Order: sequence, then structure tokens, then C-alpha cells
Amino acid sequence: MTGPAILFDAVDLTLGRTVILDGVSLRVAAGTVHALVGPNGGGKSSLIRALLGQAPHRGTIRLDWPGDGPGTVAYVPQSVEFDRGLPLTVEDFLAVLCQRRPAFLGPDRRINYGAALDRVGMAGKARRRFGALSGGERQRVLLAQALIPAPDLIVLDEPMTALDEAGIAIFKTLLAELSAAGTTILWVEHDLAQVRRLATRVTGLNRRVLFDGHPMEMLSPERVFDLFSAVPRRAGAERIAS
Amino acid sequence: MSFEALRALVQGWAGAGLLPAGLTHGFLVNALLSGLVIGPVLGGLGTLVVTKRLAFFSEAVGHAALTGVAIGILVGEPYTGPYASLFGYCLLFALLVNYTRNRSNLTADTLIGVFLSVSLALGASLLLILASRVNIHILENVLFGSVLTVDDRDLTVLLVVALGVTALMLPLFNRLLLASFNPALARVRGVPVKGLDYLFIVLVTVVTVASVKIIGAILVGALLVIPAAAARVVASSLRGFFLLSVAFASVAAVAGILLPVQLALPVPSGGAIILAAGLLFLGALLARLFMKGEEG
Repeated sequence: MTGPAILFDAVDLTLGRTVILDGVSLRVAAGTVHALVGPNGGGKSSLIRALLGQAPHRGTIRLDWPGDGPGTVAYVPQSVEFDRGLPLTVEDFLAVLCQRRPAFLGPDRRINYGAALDRVGMAGKARRRFGALSGGERQRVLLAQALIPAPDLIVLDEPMTALDEAGIAIFKTLLAELSAAGTTILWVEHDLAQVRRLATRVTGLNRRVLFDGHPMEMLSPERVFDLFSAVPRRAGAERIAS
Repeated sequence: MSFEALRALVQGWAGAGLLPAGLTHGFLVNALLSGLVIGPVLGGLGTLVVTKRLAFFSEAVGHAALTGVAIGILVGEPYTGPYASLFGYCLLFALLVNYTRNRSNLTADTLIGVFLSVSLALGASLLLILASRVNIHILENVLFGSVLTVDDRDLTVLLVVALGVTALMLPLFNRLLLASFNPALARVRGVPVKGLDYLFIVLVTVVTVASVKIIGAILVGALLVIPAAAARVVASSLRGFFLLSVAFASVAAVAGILLPVQLALPVPSGGAIILAAGLLFLGALLARLFMKGEEG
């Protein structure tokens, strides 16, 4: 099965008196790498939460699955909140996420955790304590969990933030493999250079959709400046300007 | 096998010198059985309590039991086991705390502190009103536990609660844990985070209430926390964490029930159980320090 197309139609999201999303309409084509960019507080993560059914919103969000029923949705969060001293190995962490059998009884041998860890360059680190990993290694494990089972739609929330050079190379390979397999990839990212290289389409979001199209056309300096200054957000504008 | 037959069997073995002589007393066999039933469950559930940072909550639910007992006596339940009021009040207390936690901007510890104080004030007031109606010293058993008062009905309650909680906890273990790591990721994985949140609160509450008779309202929360904390100190994997916590809680429960009788110490069972758990925790800390020293 290839991934679904996603339709956002006039999506509004308000928290208290703050408008987070204002009439957001966009279409994510099936099997594409679609990047969401915008300033902090621009609504990128909120749009993802709305897509995942975790934020009350108005408007329509529809997934058009190509087959008879819905496929597998995977999500890679920016981070996980947990006690760093918890006696939890990488394998334990994956077992907690991916299997029904209680993780303290050990990994379900029907699930190939080793292969997923291998794909993110973490082979041989299954017995390492999860809390003792570096931020980049933890991010790789979060990517690995999204591969079990093979996803049809994967939602990535700033997955490159903590990655080092080697991790970024692995991420690029992974993105290419998933894309080749027809997986729909919705990718929140702040690194515009990587979006230019890797995404097939990009949407600029700052409460509203400010642009939507091919990254090489859309991410011109003027558009990026508009995106980050549509609502005054000095820090974002300064970062781009620098 | 009925409790009576099991009791007779254990007493027979104790009489033949195969088990400690104290177990020739039926009441001590009852207490031992309750410790063996509830110890592993408290140890297993404790790993989730510690991971989900609900130690203070479990303490508060235990303390709420005091008020539950007072209400029970007030409405005419037997003071030896006012289970309807105990379960009813403690469940109400726990669900209210959780409901309010999800809807206020207060941190969990502040909110629990507020509810706990109000609940204790209510319990203390009711107990003063009741002082003329019951021997107030009986309430010492409620506060600190007693091996003398465990009867077949208490054993049945413990067994039903232990089996029910185990039957729910084991298949849901991963999901309960995942919900505390990242609720959004958990929901994508099909975990009903809020529902499981409430279910976990209910599991902790019913186990706590069922254990009040043997450990006491003041100390019951500690057996959810201390063995798991000790296991967390020395374990290096989830398997070790869970199994050691179960083992520590079971050992503490059995030791706390048997040792005071064997050594003729005038210590309530609850106090002895928690002291035994505390010693295990101390041992775990020392072992950890020793291991660190070895590592250099």
C-alpha cells in the first residue's frame, strides 16, 4: 500500500483567545515528502496534533487512503519525556512502543527490532540504557520506532534538531527509502536548506498558509522573510536573516 | 482449596517444624497469605507508580483510607472492615484528584497536597465525633496495620483485587508506560491515554485500599513506592526493574509479618513491612555505591 493523500480544509484552531490556526487549507499528495515550515508558534506542531486527532479544531482533515482501509500511521515526536535514570534499554523502549507482550518479559521475537535499529545506525546498541544515549542517538531510536511496523504515513516533528552529521546522513537515506516505498511523509522542519534538498513540496505556515509549492520556487529569501515576519517574531526573522 | 483448608495445611507444616513456629497461629497464616497475595502486586504496580511519578498520589490515597474508615463507621459499617465506604471514598478521592489535575493549572503535587489536607481534616473531624461510639484504639489498626485482624473476608477481598489488578495490569503494562513517555506518540499507537490514566488511578486505589488492613493507612502507599525505588536503583533493564520490585515487595511483606512474631517485637505489621522495605532500599543504595566504586 502506498501512503494516503491528506486534505486540510479551512482548519481553525483556537486555544483560549489565541488563534493558532486560521482557515488552513492545503493538500498533501500521496507518496510525497511534504515539508511544513514557519516560525515558532506559527502552528506547525498544532496542525500535526490536529491531524493526529489530538487538538480540537474546526474544519475538515481527511486522509484518503488508497486501499480498502486505513494503513499504518507513524509519528516521530521531537522528544520523549521520561526519567533519564529509568532502567530502560533501547530494546525495552522499542518493546514498550511496538509490542503487546509486557516489555519486562523481553522483546517479542516476531518483531525485528535489530533491523530497525540497523537502519538508523544504532545496531549493537539495543542493550544500551535509553536515558544514557545522546540527544542525537535518542532521536535515531525515535526514528527506528516509526519503522515498526512499516509506515504508510509518517509524521515527523523536527526530527533533525538533535542529529549530528552522521545522523543527518542516515535520516536522508531513510527519507529516500520511505519515499521510494510510496510512504506519505509530512515533515515539520526548521532547517530550510535541508527542506530545499529533500522535500518534494513545502508549505509555509504562520497561522495561515502563506505559500505552498515546490521548495526551490517557494523558499526564496523574500518569501521566507515574509513568512517569518507576517506576525512579528523577531527571533525567527533574525535567525533566517543570519 | 478453601482458606480454612490452606490454613490447616500451613499450620500442620508449622507444627511439624517445616515452617516457623509462629505459623501454628491461624491469624498469622492469614496475615502471611495476605502478604504473599498483595506483595507481588504492589511491587509490580509500583514500577508504574514510580515511572509515572505518582508516588505522592499513592501516599495520598492511602491516607484517604482513614477518612473512608471514619465514614464507614459513621454510616454503620463494621469497624473491622468498612469496605463499601473505604472503596467508595478512596475511589471518589482519587478520581476527583485526577479530574481536577487535568483541568487546573496547578502542578500535581500542589493539587494532591490540597486534597490530602482537606481529606485528613475531614477524617480527623469525623473520628473525633466517633470517639464516643467506638474504642478509638481500634483505629490504630487502621493507621498502622495489624496481623491480628485479617479474616477470611479480608483475604477474599485481597485475592479478588490482586487477581483483577494483575489481569488488567499485565496486558496493559506497555500502554500504561507509553502514555507517560509521550501522550501524542501513545495516541498514534492506539493507546487511549486519558482512559488508561483513569484506569491506572483506579488500580492503584483499589490495591491500596485492599492492603490497608495489613499495612495500615499511613504506610500502605510506601509499599508501592519503596520496593520499586530500590529496584530502580540497582536494575539495568526493565526486566530487572520489574522482577526486583516484585521480589523486594514480597520479601518485605513476608518479613514484616513474620519477624515481629518470631522475634517477639511489639511492632505493628505495617511498620515492620515498611521498615523491611526500607532496609532493602538501603541495601540497594549501598549495592549501587559499591558497583559504582567497582566501575571506578
